[in-house]
Amino acid sequence: MLIPLLQASPWALFIGRFHPVLVHLPIGFLLIAALIEIGRRTGKISVSESTVVFVLFWSAVSATFACIAGYLLSLGGGYDEDLLGAHMLKGIGVAVFAWVAWIVKSDWLAGKISFGKAVYLPAFAVAVVLTMTAGHDGGSLTHGDGYLTQYTPEPFRSLAGMDPIQEKAKEIKPITDVQQAVVYKDIVQPILEARCTQCHNASKKKGDLRMDELALLMKGGENGPVLVPGKGAESDMIKRCLLDESDDNHMPPKGKPQLSTEQIALLSWWIDQGAPVDKKVAELTVSDQVKPALASLGGGSATGGAGGAKQKESAIATLKVSPAKEADIQAMRKAGLIVNTLSQDQNLIEVSAVNAPKFSDKDIALLLPVAEQITWLKLGGTQITDSGLKEIAKLKNLTKLHLEHTGVTDQGIAQIKSLPHLEYLNVIDTKIGDAGLKNIATIKGLRSIYVWQSAVTDSAVAQTARQNKGLQIVNGFSAAEVAQFLKAGDSTVTKPVATTKK
Amino acid sequence: MEKLLKELQYADLHRQTRRHFLQSAGFGLGALGLGSLLGSCGASNAGTNVSGNAAAAKIPQFAPKAKRVIYIHMAGAPSQLELFDYKPELVKYHGQDCPAEFLEGKKFAFIQGVPKMLGPQGKFAQYGQSGAWMSDYVPYLQTVADEITFLKAMHTDQFNHAPAQLLMHTGSARLGRPSLGAWSVYGLGSENQNLPGFIVLASGGQQPDAGKSVYGSGFLPSVYQGVQCRTGGDPVLYVSDPSGMNRDMRKQTIEAINEINRQTYEDVKDPEILTRISQYEMAFRMQMSVPEVMDVSKEPQFILDMYGVKPGEGTFAMNCLLARKLVENDVRFVQLFDWGWDGHGTSKDHNVEGGLRQKCRESDQPIAALIKDLKMRGLLEETLIIWGAEFGRTPMQENRNGLVMPFMGRDHHLDAFTMWMAGGGVKQGYSHGETDELGYYGAKDRVHVHDLQATILHLMGFDHEKFTYPFQGRNFRLTDTEGKVVKQVIA
Repeated sequence: MLIPLLQASPWALFIGRFHPVLVHLPIGFLLIAALIEIGRRTGKISVSESTVVFVLFWSAVSATFACIAGYLLSLGGGYDEDLLGAHMLKGIGVAVFAWVAWIVKSDWLAGKISFGKAVYLPAFAVAVVLTMTAGHDGGSLTHGDGYLTQYTPEPFRSLAGMDPIQEKAKEIKPITDVQQAVVYKDIVQPILEARCTQCHNASKKKGDLRMDELALLMKGGENGPVLVPGKGAESDMIKRCLLDESDDNHMPPKGKPQLSTEQIALLSWWIDQGAPVDKKVAELTVSDQVKPALASLGGGSATGGAGGAKQKESAIATLKVSPAKEADIQAMRKAGLIVNTLSQDQNLIEVSAVNAPKFSDKDIALLLPVAEQITWLKLGGTQITDSGLKEIAKLKNLTKLHLEHTGVTDQGIAQIKSLPHLEYLNVIDTKIGDAGLKNIATIKGLRSIYVWQSAVTDSAVAQTARQNKGLQIVNGFSAAEVAQFLKAGDSTVTKPVATTKK
Repeated sequence: MEKLLKELQYADLHRQTRRHFLQSAGFGLGALGLGSLLGSCGASNAGTNVSGNAAAAKIPQFAPKAKRVIYIHMAGAPSQLELFDYKPELVKYHGQDCPAEFLEGKKFAFIQGVPKMLGPQGKFAQYGQSGAWMSDYVPYLQTVADEITFLKAMHTDQFNHAPAQLLMHTGSARLGRPSLGAWSVYGLGSENQNLPGFIVLASGGQQPDAGKSVYGSGFLPSVYQGVQCRTGGDPVLYVSDPSGMNRDMRKQTIEAINEINRQTYEDVKDPEILTRISQYEMAFRMQMSVPEVMDVSKEPQFILDMYGVKPGEGTFAMNCLLARKLVENDVRFVQLFDWGWDGHGTSKDHNVEGGLRQKCRESDQPIAALIKDLKMRGLLEETLIIWGAEFGRTPMQENRNGLVMPFMGRDHHLDAFTMWMAGGGVKQGYSHGETDELGYYGAKDRVHVHDLQATILHLMGFDHEKFTYPFQGRNFRLTDTEGKVVKQVIA
């Protein structure tokens, strides 16, 4: 039982992780004991000696447990050796001196040791001093050297002879000219500094790996090299990023800020290109996969489109609202509406009238108490008209709106163009015309409008699409277009639709 | 008291499973009624839902990108090497003995000894802006290449149809687990109260080899099982009015029966009686709703032409059109099965030349039409289409019993096959994974069946590791202990 415990087993680490919890007990106890002792000796308070001894006893016990847990934690590795050694010695010292101070005062030894009285106060004092220095070392181990005084303000800063405050590299700054950027220094290193070097640096060295300098990164860690120049997909650092976040081997660890797909693509591409130190983007082969990622470095968002590029994330990812009142939800359900919460962390709701075809303008009052929470609203095939849309304009977090097969017209649709987050609008089989389309197309985040069987003309679709890049306007098929489609099966017509890529 | 009530309901659901539901689709529909019934009994829908209310949804971990699914399963397994996985190297090896390293320690369903390699039979080219490789077997699908994400290096664990189909749909090769559709409705709830949340349509003359279990509810309450509708004649047997009885009379009859049942319930308080009452009510509602949604006669001619269907036919093309109509009516999960893709080379219908071409002719146009039709209705971005089979086919020609087959055919292959997805949250015009030069193994970005399932659940908003159901003392998931979400295919 004990032997596996002394290796870096899950049990050892489990217990070890309690070190930061346990370690505060002896600190508190010892200081309290010291304060009481001072108060007692200066005559400020009247407390019996046994009280101090009692607190000392628990200081010693808790210090001992903290030492054991601390040792187990250290088996996990990744700490600065020298600092760790000092911290450990001082920690053990706290426990030892606390025991000594307690023993010489304890009932069964107090009378037996002649030099007890002489030892008591020095031992006590040493324990207290060691507590403070060991605590400081511990803080340096977890937060990094110099953490305590990093933000020392002026004038004390110059008095202490410290360098001016250096802002830590946090988020990556946009690059003005991507083509001229040095791949390692301007692209790779900032990503590593933002996401990796917090744990893989000079003082922390998790997994015996440092990522703060290229030479050390190349050297790798306890599991060997983390990158194979020329082979991004086979490099450990890329593989780990691509693992599922719940995987134990995933990096960065679960809960820490993660690399974006683009960032992984960039790192992988840099390794593919042989992990060069001083090459600029323009000097390397830029593959199609890495183009959008490179484009995103310029500060602007990468444009989507062909090649399976990622869509821009929906606004719902960023909308956070308070939960809807249960009574309001029940009222909607009673009226035959389906009300579902979109996801566990946001409280946004979707409302659908698929089972309430009689839903009409006057029923919209039901939606208003949850105006903030509704983000998907399906009113297709209901009795809703233009006057209802005026109320719907109040649902400010609406991203998806289904109005197909309803009586809405251009006048109504003009009322909802103030919806700031609308992304999807379905108005097929309505009286919406060209004016309505142009009006609604002014919504910034709008991505798709479906206008089949409405009064919108093909020319307006083409024109509006030209004017609004990123907006997809989908009109349906006519009989003629179906006839064209059917020709695909005619073997004489079968030809590649587009020229090959790559 | 509430515990006791739940216990009763649970026991009730289990009795129902065995006695009534698995046998008949018609009664399965009635099970939906059970939902509203138990909801009204005051059972809580929070946490683990044992109330069996099909409309009650769980709160997903993420906002769903796919609200509905159309899963097209080509039962028997078409050859990826003729359709999507272009292997020019294989042409060179055509007719040569299979390399020994491919055969060492391998088991095949039929191949014995040393088979010959079989070159691709289709003519390949790249299509769309994305340059997707497709063959002349699927000329219509070529026109929607830029809507599709291909998974080129799928792999599975099972080389026989039934267990492989079970694995694909239930996450386990053995019987007893809920199907993907059942999990979906369990998670997101059923929307249209007049229609089942999970509908199954089969074509090709035979049911899938694994039978109804591929769309069963396993240990989930049976309200979540797939309800199979027939495509020709009455969509669901025995829900239409008998001749000589009009709808009013039917309504009065049902009301009278329900009234008697209600009085009995007042006396004995057996929840089974309430179940029966709501089954009658649901069946009555379905008399109207199901024939209406399954009736394609009101569709414009050019839509019928686009799919290539004639009203009254029970073809795969008809099922594609019905699938569109069902998702348009907010049915959560539509499962299509088409039988007859098992191209061993044993007969003129079952091979990778004429036989496979014929199956493609029947299915290629309606599938492309379905994608286009969903798109123009604004449904594609909320609806996930999944196309695939239970496994793929070997790069070797089948030599059953060591003999030369009458037609060119390929054996079952589990190490590499192609599936594709479109719509609902997947990338447009993307290909994930590659096989080796001969299409035998996945060489890059392999995707296991469980990974695919994890990805589908992810698209529907669920973390496959947290989406569980307690049964026999432990929490079960669709992916059991496996599965990694394939993040690269998510838009």
